[in-house]
Amino acid sequence: MTAANAVQTFIDTVDAAAASYMEACVHCGQCARACHFYETNNDPRLTPIYKIEPLIKTYKRHKAPFASLRRALGLVPAEITEDELNEWSELVYDTCTMCGRCTLVCPMGIDVAALVRKTREGFVAAGIVPEGLTGAAQRALDIGSPLGIKPETLRKIVDEQSQEVGIPIELDKVGADYLVVLSAMELLNFYEVIGALARIFKQAGVSWTISTEAYEATNIGIQMGDKEVARTLVGRIVDAAEKLKVKYVISPECGHAYTALKWEGPNLVGRPYDFKVVHILEFLDQLQREGKIRTKGKDTRRVTYHDPCQIVRRGGVVKQPRAILDTVSDGFVEMSHAGVANICCGGGGGVSSNPRAEDYRLRAFASKKKQIDDLGDIEALVTSCANCRNVIEEAIDEYGMELPVIGLVELLADYLEPESDAGEKAKLAEA
Amino acid sequence: MIIVEIIEGPLWYLAATVFVVGVLWRIIGILRLGRRTDLSVPRAAAIPGAVKALFRHLLPHHSFYNKTKLHLFAGYLFHIGLFVVLFFAAPHIAFLEERVLGFGWEAMPRWAFIVSAQAAFAGLILLWFRRIADPTMRQISDADDHVGSWLTFIAMLTGCLALQESNVSLRALHMLSVEIWLIYFPFSRLMHAFTFVLSRGYTGIIYGRRGVTP
Amino acid sequence: MTRTFVWILLLAGFLAGPLSVIAPLPPLASPVIAAEGAPPGESLGNESDADLWRRVRRGESFMLSDPRLGAAVLVQSEGEEWRSIRNGPVSRYGGILVLVGLGAVILFALLRGKVKIEGGRTGRRIPRFTMLERSIHWFVAAVFILLAISGLIILFGRYILLPVIGPSAFGAVASAAMQGHNLFGPLFIVGLLVMLFAYALDNIFQAADAKWIIKGGNLFGGHAPSWKYNFGEKTYFWLVVMTGLVLSVTGILMEFPGLVDTMWYLQVSTIVHATAALLVIPVAMGHIYLGSIGVEGALEGMTEGTVDENWAREHHDLWAEKVMREMAEDEPKGAAKPAPGAAE
Repeated sequence: MTAANAVQTFIDTVDAAAASYMEACVHCGQCARACHFYETNNDPRLTPIYKIEPLIKTYKRHKAPFASLRRALGLVPAEITEDELNEWSELVYDTCTMCGRCTLVCPMGIDVAALVRKTREGFVAAGIVPEGLTGAAQRALDIGSPLGIKPETLRKIVDEQSQEVGIPIELDKVGADYLVVLSAMELLNFYEVIGALARIFKQAGVSWTISTEAYEATNIGIQMGDKEVARTLVGRIVDAAEKLKVKYVISPECGHAYTALKWEGPNLVGRPYDFKVVHILEFLDQLQREGKIRTKGKDTRRVTYHDPCQIVRRGGVVKQPRAILDTVSDGFVEMSHAGVANICCGGGGGVSSNPRAEDYRLRAFASKKKQIDDLGDIEALVTSCANCRNVIEEAIDEYGMELPVIGLVELLADYLEPESDAGEKAKLAEA
Repeated sequence: MIIVEIIEGPLWYLAATVFVVGVLWRIIGILRLGRRTDLSVPRAAAIPGAVKALFRHLLPHHSFYNKTKLHLFAGYLFHIGLFVVLFFAAPHIAFLEERVLGFGWEAMPRWAFIVSAQAAFAGLILLWFRRIADPTMRQISDADDHVGSWLTFIAMLTGCLALQESNVSLRALHMLSVEIWLIYFPFSRLMHAFTFVLSRGYTGIIYGRRGVTP
Repeated sequence: MTRTFVWILLLAGFLAGPLSVIAPLPPLASPVIAAEGAPPGESLGNESDADLWRRVRRGESFMLSDPRLGAAVLVQSEGEEWRSIRNGPVSRYGGILVLVGLGAVILFALLRGKVKIEGGRTGRRIPRFTMLERSIHWFVAAVFILLAISGLIILFGRYILLPVIGPSAFGAVASAAMQGHNLFGPLFIVGLLVMLFAYALDNIFQAADAKWIIKGGNLFGGHAPSWKYNFGEKTYFWLVVMTGLVLSVTGILMEFPGLVDTMWYLQVSTIVHATAALLVIPVAMGHIYLGSIGVEGALEGMTEGTVDENWAREHHDLWAEKVMREMAEDEPKGAAKPAPGAAE
């Protein structure tokens, strides 16, 4: 019965784009060479296009052109079984971060990651999802955060940050221009970003707020392939934003959150938003270009930048982080494959929430490590996704490396022109 | 030689019909599935993205040249060779002019035709052996991959065996193998000759809106 | 151009005799036979028709009617010798050689059976051939087989196929074989040269090969030391390279006869070409047998790129030790142990 649910979902979920992808694949195997899981395990099963075999089989059996003719001749693949789904669960959930790097090397331009997403939807329908992900989804639905951050905790964190930087932060402020949502990982591990944002926005004169009803942008539904969960989580942000009558929602330093909020959200809730979604890097870059952010001094360390897949390759925010880095860093060097071809940290797409995948995740990091090692003496790694940051920090420990990992927004905040300077300048100008 | 007459007459029309109708049916069958309107706010236009993707995927991203050089070399050797032989060899132009299009064009010299055929053979041989001599390729290959490769090889081989152009039965053998190839085409992965436009196009449309062309 | 020349030759051949007497041309290259009385027959000159034709047949050159053409051989006498060598001993002994080769392989298979991995499979794999090496090998192998089949048809078809399928079908087959052979020939040359560079280094004879010879390899049960390739494999490699180069050069001459100006080169080329092919084909059959079903685990090197550790130890001990030592050194240190990177 569970397999039948998966089959039905597979059939429903395949549209013309997905069909074109499955029809066009010539089994050339190039995608394997772009996959950090394949490259670090050397296992033929980890070839990206092979990971979606259940979807392809079902499509060929039920939906492809000539399917009925082929069925009559006995030339279609057998119906997929529950055993098969269980076997494939490892390939669909543990060894794919939906980073989409394989598309870059595909002669047919196939978006394999999108097909993995659709395959995951079938797995959700069949109830074959790793426990780590279902648990996170449950917490997100029940509490409001996959990592279990409750509104009270949020208040406490915001309060703390507000005191630390000495700037009042007003929660649930109706009529603010910008609504800031954060990633679960930021609230758990990297909440300094709230103070950093407060300082930057104060200098730039941005009117902003945080909602206590929708403070998390992390969308576990997008990661695990559960459209219902995804819709509910995006819906919360949409409701909160519209309730607070904000003009913009700022997507945080989090990869899949951006995909969820900006690109898939309107399609999930079934209508365009009343507000606009802007990524924090885009926004900061814009403020900088408008001269609203003034920095002083530069970081002299030799740093490099890790591109979060969903923000860069699948989000289109490529130049902005570089522009920001250049204003605050003197020692910024690009790693090989920087930009759209960057290698994933190994923990995106729900892999980091899935304890079963830990070995794969740590091994996949070897590809990232090589990029970093090839640069020689790197003193810090900058990134703009809290999940990447957490995954990389863990892996760095595991590999016995020593390398601080920094969030880009925090780095920018560190080099903001101090208020006293600004005040003096203002006085001078008046005089 | 009744067999030769059948091969060059009715069977040819049958094969050509199956090819044309089958290809159209399959493409329409894919497009018919449709896509829901994307409600997200685009950063850039979709159609330029599609055009960009069509060309961009002629080559892998430059990060992968080193890892994919063998496949890239063999793939282009085969495809360019086959394309040139197919459309610029004198006997093929004559056939197309007489039987299909009603007009012809300048053929290339015979030596260039032979060299192109050799390139096509070299590429195809490399591609097929890559498929069977690599565990990853074997893992993802199915019967269709091999049948398609072999039918193409046989069609090319019979063509090369008939190069003397002095033997009716050799010509008919080439015709027959091409007809089998044409009939097999719409039901197989050989369709990638057309579907590549769709897959690259959709990726270009979807990501073009996001301002990237992966 | 060539055709015109042939026509002129032919025409000249018919006319040379009579004209040589009538036309005011310089004397023939050969000494004029002294006229001792009237020659027999109805000849116009002082030489009998039979004598004249005999000289033509022997391959003497004659001045042609058009002085610009100079002297020309009208009948290529060596052609007949070439034909009798090609269709005589070359075909006969060559055919026997191919059959003996085939018989030897079958006999070996029957007597020795499949050479098993004695220690059993370990399940641990070590890399043997890169994707590039495998590609080169299979490319040359595929072209070699196509050329061998078409070549054998060209050489032996008249004895084996013609009586069975009749002249009209054989006409088609022979034409097809010739066209196929000519088309694939140049691909073999390219493949051979690439293979020479890719494989030569590991095929240089080493000290261990002497021990291998003394022990007679492990074909007969014993164990013999070997680096990446054993003495037998190396010998086969150089045989392929040498005969391949000979086949290439002679093949080019035959495919492009305009490159040389006398028939002699072409006649020698066909004989040498056939001889070299008939030398290498039987040995290739042995290579194919040993590389596929004859030796357990050998084919995997060429299909997977990797071989079982025990296979490597039993067949190429010195190489296996070296590779395993290198792999141990490459093993990354640190808490997480990434698997070795994918072999290109």
